[in-house]
Amino acid sequence: MTAFYGLLIGVAMGFFIQRVRASSPAMIVRNLRLENLSVIKFMALTMAVGMVLVYALNLVIPSALHFDVKPTYVLGVLLGGLVFGVGFGIGGYCPGTSVVGIGEGRKDAIVAMLGGVVGALVFTLVYTTLIAPLVKVADLGKITLADVTHLSPFVLAVIVSAVFLVAIKLLPTEVGAKR
Amino acid sequence: MTTHTTIDPSAKTPWLFYGVLFGILGTLSIIAWGPIGVSGTYPRLVGEVLTLVVPDYAAANPYLQKMGHLFAKTETYLVIGLLLGGFFGARLNKEKAPACEMIHPSEKTTGRRYRDAFIGGFLIVFGARIAGGCTSGHIISGITQLSVSGFIFAAGVFATGILTAKTLKRRHVAAGA
Repeated sequence: MTAFYGLLIGVAMGFFIQRVRASSPAMIVRNLRLENLSVIKFMALTMAVGMVLVYALNLVIPSALHFDVKPTYVLGVLLGGLVFGVGFGIGGYCPGTSVVGIGEGRKDAIVAMLGGVVGALVFTLVYTTLIAPLVKVADLGKITLADVTHLSPFVLAVIVSAVFLVAIKLLPTEVGAKR
Repeated sequence: MTTHTTIDPSAKTPWLFYGVLFGILGTLSIIAWGPIGVSGTYPRLVGEVLTLVVPDYAAANPYLQKMGHLFAKTETYLVIGLLLGGFFGARLNKEKAPACEMIHPSEKTTGRRYRDAFIGGFLIVFGARIAGGCTSGHIISGITQLSVSGFIFAAGVFATGILTAKTLKRRHVAAGA
């Protein structure tokens, strides 16, 4: 049954990503060059809405939520993010938007997905020797901002959400004229 | 024959509307089974192929064992959904299949564009697997749950993402091309 929910949520997510043009690598690169901030604002708004909803719901019916916080192994998470960012800047796709792009009929999205499959293959081959020791460095476990600050997660969600919403409101969507 | 496409910089997208909807959708996902994620599907797909080709190696690989079977994961069906969602999003809007977008000044041929797409695709999945998640799992789902790892991953992604995108534009201008 969760497979069916997964499919439905995937269809909706793919649809949203297509409509805000996050599956366009040209749009992604314009966001990373900080020439247009629409996709960054889309992501920030998604998180701002989501965090308040889940932690408000958590106050009322905590049993309804399936939280799954990923472990903070500082070195591996940061290094992975840095490598990801280089790929994001070069190709203009992320693992999800390349799949959406294929659905749209983008041929370079197929190439990006193939690159991803080869990346996953190489990763699988080197995991035991290179990655497993690395990801154990500075592993703080599955922690949230609430664990760090000892504040209520709902209060934190409201604060972080407010910061995101103010940034969305203050920053321009289209930054200056295209050079 | 190369098709050059430049997107209209003044074109508006409905990011405000879909940003709110996506926030609600992410909440529904956490209610239905758990936070959304994508990149783990890539090694699971590799695992299924390796199981067919070199079954003994696949069965003994600790990473593939850790990631689990492709069709046992809800995430796999979400990724299939992304494919369909992209299709419907474009077709219901009566959009033609998008032309190949050249995204950096150095991409003068489709071949160069495919090269960048391949290298980019390789690095995003390799990086995401080091970190244990991608834009969906670490950034959208992670920060929604206020997880510390989500903020660290996002900081890394935007640091090199912005640097790379700006450098690929500037270096070309500096070279006088």
